[in-house]
Amino acid sequence: MSVDTEHRRLCHALFDAIEQGDIDAVDDCYAADMTMWVNVGRAEITREENLAALARGRDLHRRRTYNDRIIDTFDDGFVVQYTVHVVAHDGTTVPLPACLVAEVRDAKITKLFEYLDSGKFSPRGRA
Amino acid sequence: MNQYEIRELCEAFFDAYENRRVDILDRLYADDCVIWHNVFGRETTRDENLAALPDGYRGQRRRTYNDRIINTFDDGFVIQYSLNGVQHNGHRGALWVCIVGRCRDGRITRIDEYMDSGKFAAWSGRPIQGDWRTATGGAK
Repeated sequence: MSVDTEHRRLCHALFDAIEQGDIDAVDDCYAADMTMWVNVGRAEITREENLAALARGRDLHRRRTYNDRIIDTFDDGFVVQYTVHVVAHDGTTVPLPACLVAEVRDAKITKLFEYLDSGKFSPRGRA
Repeated sequence: MNQYEIRELCEAFFDAYENRRVDILDRLYADDCVIWHNVFGRETTRDENLAALPDGYRGQRRRTYNDRIINTFDDGFVIQYSLNGVQHNGHRGALWVCIVGRCRDGRITRIDEYMDSGKFAAWSGRPIQGDWRTATGGAK
């Protein structure tokens, strides 16, 4: 399998797992020393902190889908541009365009950088 | 374009932005280049972008595009960087931005810019009012 194909599969595996709320499958995508940074909070969090946040966030919304994925790969990672569609429990849908840059080693994600616009978050935290 | 040419194009683009060289930016944009900003969710043309720059530059004493992390792929690049600005009153602010660029024949054909508008007040040192432009469209 080419590096390009490998990275694309890893990217889709990550988003599919998050979309389905499958925390174990998300964990399978991460290296043990994985860290994540988001441009909104700018604090670097660990793999365990990220997995805990995903688990807590599962029930906040009725559904979240990661759509329109545009993936480009490079030797040691990938960038994906996408739109998260967040469906709140009251049925309201909020689209949130975002970009994620991933560093990859041995087919596992070692670092994630996420860029999004907190101005698109709903005042009631729907997105 | 090979990865070195794409990387050089990316650096030249940000150097020109930093040095306010609209004439160089004009040469680096393809004729059909479009720029999309996540904050506004709409595309602007190269001409609209270039026309907005002089007014945007007047907003700060200085803007520098630092900590550039560039990765290249077949037809483009992704760059993560810190935009540091100094306002005319001396206030310093920063924005953390990611841009995905598409390239063809030595020029940029598309830019997708991702930033957090929630940082604009801290960037400028004053409350947000009215229309805001973005880092590559001339943040005020």
